Amino acid sequence: MIRFIDVVKTYPNGVQALKGVNLTINDGEFVAIIGLSGAGKSTLLRSINKMHSITSGQVLVDDVDVGQLKGKQLRMLRRSIGMIFQSFNLVKRMSVFNNVLTGRVAYHPTFKTLFGIFPKEDKILALESLDTMGILEKAFTRADQLSGGQQQRVALARSLAQKPKVILADEPVASLDPITTVQVMNDFTKVNRDFGITIVANMHHVDLALKYAKRIIGIRDGVVVFDGPSSEINDDILVQIYGRSLAHNEILGVE
Amino acid sequence: MNERVQTTFAKRPRTWIANLILTLCIVGLVVYSFTGSQINYNSLAQAGIKFNTMINEIVDINWGYFFGYGDGASFNDGIVFKMLETIAMTLFGTLIGAVLALPFGFLASENVVGKKWCKVGETILVLIRVFPELILAFILVKGLGMTPLTVIFTIGIHSIGMLGKLFAESIDNMDRSSLEALDSVGANAWQKVRYGIIPNIMPELTSVTLYRFDINLRSATIFGLVGAGGIGLPLSLALTNTADPAWEMAGTVLLAIVIMVLVVDFLSGYLRKKLV
Amino acid sequence: MQVYRLPNGKTVKKPFNRFWIVLPLFVALCVGMAFVIPINWSNIRFAELLVILRKMFTPQNNRTWGDYFAFMLTLGDEIADTLQMSFAGTLIGCFLAVPVAIISASNVVKLKWLSVPVKFFLNLMRTIPTLMWTALAVALVGFGILPGIAAIALFSFGIMGKMLYEAIETVDMNPFEALESVGANKVGAFRYAIFSQIFPIFISYTIYIFEINIRASAMLGYVGAGGLGTVIKNNVMYAYDRVGATVIVMFVMILVIQLLSNFVRRKLQ
Repeated sequence: MIRFIDVVKTYPNGVQALKGVNLTINDGEFVAIIGLSGAGKSTLLRSINKMHSITSGQVLVDDVDVGQLKGKQLRMLRRSIGMIFQSFNLVKRMSVFNNVLTGRVAYHPTFKTLFGIFPKEDKILALESLDTMGILEKAFTRADQLSGGQQQRVALARSLAQKPKVILADEPVASLDPITTVQVMNDFTKVNRDFGITIVANMHHVDLALKYAKRIIGIRDGVVVFDGPSSEINDDILVQIYGRSLAHNEILGVE
Repeated sequence: MNERVQTTFAKRPRTWIANLILTLCIVGLVVYSFTGSQINYNSLAQAGIKFNTMINEIVDINWGYFFGYGDGASFNDGIVFKMLETIAMTLFGTLIGAVLALPFGFLASENVVGKKWCKVGETILVLIRVFPELILAFILVKGLGMTPLTVIFTIGIHSIGMLGKLFAESIDNMDRSSLEALDSVGANAWQKVRYGIIPNIMPELTSVTLYRFDINLRSATIFGLVGAGGIGLPLSLALTNTADPAWEMAGTVLLAIVIMVLVVDFLSGYLRKKLV
Repeated sequence: MQVYRLPNGKTVKKPFNRFWIVLPLFVALCVGMAFVIPINWSNIRFAELLVILRKMFTPQNNRTWGDYFAFMLTLGDEIADTLQMSFAGTLIGCFLAVPVAIISASNVVKLKWLSVPVKFFLNLMRTIPTLMWTALAVALVGFGILPGIAAIALFSFGIMGKMLYEAIETVDMNPFEALESVGANKVGAFRYAIFSQIFPIFISYTIYIFEINIRASAMLGYVGAGGLGTVIKNNVMYAYDRVGATVIVMFVMILVIQLLSNFVRRKLQ
């Protein structure tokens, strides 16, 4: 369970990215965060695994205060949280298989991981994750030889190999074409449904968020202006979140 | 013309001034270069005659000397052996240099140690780089004697300076996205280096080291001219008598040098293309 | 080749990693090379090294530190010689390389029988180290800075020729086509479209080659070509401190030129 209690984030230049956020996200939920660029979506997401640290307030993951964690404890938290990035963030010259295995590095002593020695269970787990994503046959191809959609699935497989409780996704489909976008969003749904993993995703396309996420959090200027089921969203609420009617690049046009 | 066009026209950059100054500087340099002291022009005339002799004798290759047979000589005395010796010394020197350049590269990289410390690393590398190789060889010869170790160490030390800078640049220009991902899965610093940095820079590092080997080989050939060993030594011996240089010997050595350098040049170019 | 079997029954084959072939070959190469080099470990005298360094960087033979630094000031002529050799040689070599590069670039003059030997020739010029050219040149024309200029010119010719024809071959032909399409003739189109792309590259390369040549030219005197190297050769038998002083001057000169040339090249960007 993820909880935000009065979270404030002020950057050194004075900009307040989050102004007192209060949230609770329960296990197994599929949440989409929407809002303008710069509204605070990324900061919100990244404070969950302390990729961004907060100025005041608390972020609790399973009742553990993330802000207090450092060093090894922080790494132990992060290894059980998966993260998906807009630009996939794979190691381009390594094979897909090795990329997925990097999800396991925090589970083993440094010495072994330095030499690339992973236990057999990890290797089988990596391959199974790839199979779940439907790209097992690409296991030993170099990562940069895959298409965008395939690379994002490798990233998902990497997260799955971590056996996470939560997967955070920062604009996961923003770099993909509309058809691949739908495929990857379906993958997220599968992961959420079959494995019970909580999904928290920043989304740029509103109709996509409405279609796939059961719960929407709308952020504007660092303040949560909407938090509820996607069925409750209407045009007035969207104007509240975006401050204007939607621009046409914020609608993907999926059916 | 309307007013906006007029003001823009008035403010246009007068590049011809800079160009004129530049041209004058270059002309000045050229004039200075040729009017200086000591250019002995009449020796050019004599050169013509000598040139003829040289061309005739230089192509008369002493194959026994080349391969090391005949007249009680063994393979070890031949030029081919000297060639292999030079390649071997360069190989080890470049390897040592590359391995040692890695930590220096990290020290001189802004992304690794931060802006302040990277200046320190950079300065150390510049100092090593600017120090003339030949002088280094020269000093080491006096100290270590005429053993292959001199050439190996000279090349090694010089390569640290050259490769260290290129390594640091590689690290600074590297794609950082995979590091972000490794951070998010909880990797520690060593793991981030092993999985995030090394796979991304290794091809570039290898390519740069191969190129360095190529250049070092050419330098290794001239170390012999100051007495440090390798294939340059027989050449310097052949040319010591400036009144009547032993062109056949020189020709033999030159042939070996040219072949060696061209072959290595070609191979290294081929390998480097395959790496990318 | 390894086979992984998944719990759901699927199997995956892991292809053989080329690294494990390359590595042993490389190790074998190194071991083989190690046998070629006879290292006489007993001959190594590190102490001798320190002695030499001390001899070079402290005054010897009843000379004082004043003498040491005064000697550096007398090197003005030699510094000028070294600079002259480099300037002249670089300029001659680089300018001569221009027409040669143009005719050997495979997209300008399409004569294969010409461009291949010319390119080979250029390659030869640049792969032979400058010091070697100098040794040959000294044997031909005698001592002085003339053989130095010739050697540097030959080397610069080779390296500029290669860099230039590569640049010409990869030049962007689009502006050229555009100019032809508005009616310019070949010369005019060349002047504005191609020349203006190549010229900045030419200037930048010239400065770069000059930088390389300065480092080499400092020592050309050792084989007889004049400049700082001759000072070293003359003093190497009996006055190591003068050698050391010359080395310091050489070092400073190269450093200054390096910094200047970096500065100029950055300004030209």
